[in-house]
Amino acid sequence: MGEILIETKDIGISFGGHKAVNKVSIKLEKGKLTTILGPNGAGKTTLFNLISGLLEPTEGQVFFKGTDITRLSPLKRIKMGMGRSFQLTNVFGALTAFENIRLAMQSKENIGFKIFTDHRKYHQLNEKTDKILEKVLLKDKKEFLASELSHGEQRKLELGMVMALDPEILLLDEPTAGMAIEEVPVMIDIMKNIQKSGTTIILIEHKMDMVKTLSDKLIIIVNGMFLTEGDPETVSKDPEVLKAYLGGGVLDELAAKS
Amino acid sequence: MILKKDISKRMMIFLGILLIALVILPHVSTLSTTTLFSRIFIMAIYAMSYDILRGYMGFINLGHALFFGSGAYIVGILFNNIGNTVPMFLVAIVITLIYSSIAALIMGKIVFRSKGGGAASVVAGAMTTLALGEIVRHTAERWRDVTMGADGLSFRIPPVFADRTMFYYYALIFLIVMTLILRQFINSPTGRVLMSIRENEQRAEFLGFDTEKYKLIGLQVSGIASGFSGVMFGVMNRFVNTELLTVQQTLNALLITLVGGTGTLYGAIIGSGFVNIVQSQLLNFRRVHPIFERWLLFFGAMYVIVVIFMPKGFMGLYYSITDKRKSKLQNQTIKETSGKTS
Repeated sequence: MGEILIETKDIGISFGGHKAVNKVSIKLEKGKLTTILGPNGAGKTTLFNLISGLLEPTEGQVFFKGTDITRLSPLKRIKMGMGRSFQLTNVFGALTAFENIRLAMQSKENIGFKIFTDHRKYHQLNEKTDKILEKVLLKDKKEFLASELSHGEQRKLELGMVMALDPEILLLDEPTAGMAIEEVPVMIDIMKNIQKSGTTIILIEHKMDMVKTLSDKLIIIVNGMFLTEGDPETVSKDPEVLKAYLGGGVLDELAAKS
Repeated sequence: MILKKDISKRMMIFLGILLIALVILPHVSTLSTTTLFSRIFIMAIYAMSYDILRGYMGFINLGHALFFGSGAYIVGILFNNIGNTVPMFLVAIVITLIYSSIAALIMGKIVFRSKGGGAASVVAGAMTTLALGEIVRHTAERWRDVTMGADGLSFRIPPVFADRTMFYYYALIFLIVMTLILRQFINSPTGRVLMSIRENEQRAEFLGFDTEKYKLIGLQVSGIASGFSGVMFGVMNRFVNTELLTVQQTLNALLITLVGGTGTLYGAIIGSGFVNIVQSQLLNFRRVHPIFERWLLFFGAMYVIVVIFMPKGFMGLYYSITDKRKSKLQNQTIKETSGKTS
């Protein structure tokens, strides 16, 4: 096993009496693409919120690069090199696509609290922003307001914003959710490119077929609990996984189609 | 929201003509019109400072008048107690600067503590600002030795400001300088972050921005601009009372930005012009018919009409017209080029 970037120890959170995440201990390796897989409502996004600091766990600990970050604010975790996207599209609707990514770049480059220089004078930022826009295939839409973009384009924009932060580890929450089928391969290509650049990625998905080829490792979560982990081939053939996961998964697909 | 567009040549010419007209105005108009325009210029900056909060930061401040009123009180108290000289005016400016930034810091530290956004925390924040504004108003009312309480404080001003025409020019310069400064602020990296906070504060935080600090800076810049406009307003009226610290005074700023267009900065200038002119016209009509004694009724109706027919205010209307023209031009060029290729 390589260097461990993120580790959770018996992490859990309960809302009222319901344990959304229950004593999950996982290790995420540097430079790998790990997918957290599970049916809808399994607690994947909640686990992400615990790792990124949006929620504070009721039990257990989170470590990032060996440091205990359980009580740190999201902001501090981001400064340490964590980046995340959201399942629900979360872009700045009234700003242009360019401005959305330029802001992320501004944060990355630590421009600070400048109040009397024009933001357009940072040419370096603008060039880097253009490069990101190219990577996420939005170059010709850069002057569009983010709210005018299609859903799939907004997801790409969201990914571009996280890429601009150039984090050590990238937490992607269902980046293809709600996307048109023909757009999904494009998204996968973008993710593959990020992977090639050496960034560690943690992905949340509930469509197993999509991530099988992409992932180095699968972690299965069911009902807020850790079920099993391993390479995609073994895990996807695990009878227990098929029973627990596909049972829900098939229902999900049906629900999505209806 | 309308992003800043670079000023076109035609706009430059228009602004040039407007400036010349404004420079000539006091020589061809009555004294009351000159004073009305001085008032428009000063109120424009007050409303613009409010627009930075509401239009660019998405923050509803119901205690905004505390900066404005305090600026007027600061200059009045200094002129009254120490001397009505120009250096004292500059001292008033410096004290207002310090006072406003500290007051904004205190207000921000209290209001921006509740994180997580949501309608509940927005309302809670607005209520807190309301309470803070009331505290300042009450203090001014009770501190009779210095402020003369509810009677209001009248004071003498330095002779240079006494001439209405000269003061008109000072107000015009004040408007231009402050507009340029605030425009620069909105276009700065910090101003851009404020816009992202308005759009989605949580996302801005996940981009690595310390949103609370940015909001504090925004509130301070806005508070200082508001305080400065209060100083000018006090000098213009030679009188200050607690009315300048009331919620009504805050609502004036809100209504001016609504009429002019929220989140457009320049809307505050147009809104201030429109609102003040309508108000003074309605007051003039009192001589025509007694029903105009109830001028507030018509004033209210004016707002309702504006909000129904121009939900984005005058600037919103202007931008939608120019955008339409632009897209029309684009469509034409697309048609032309596609015609050539086929």
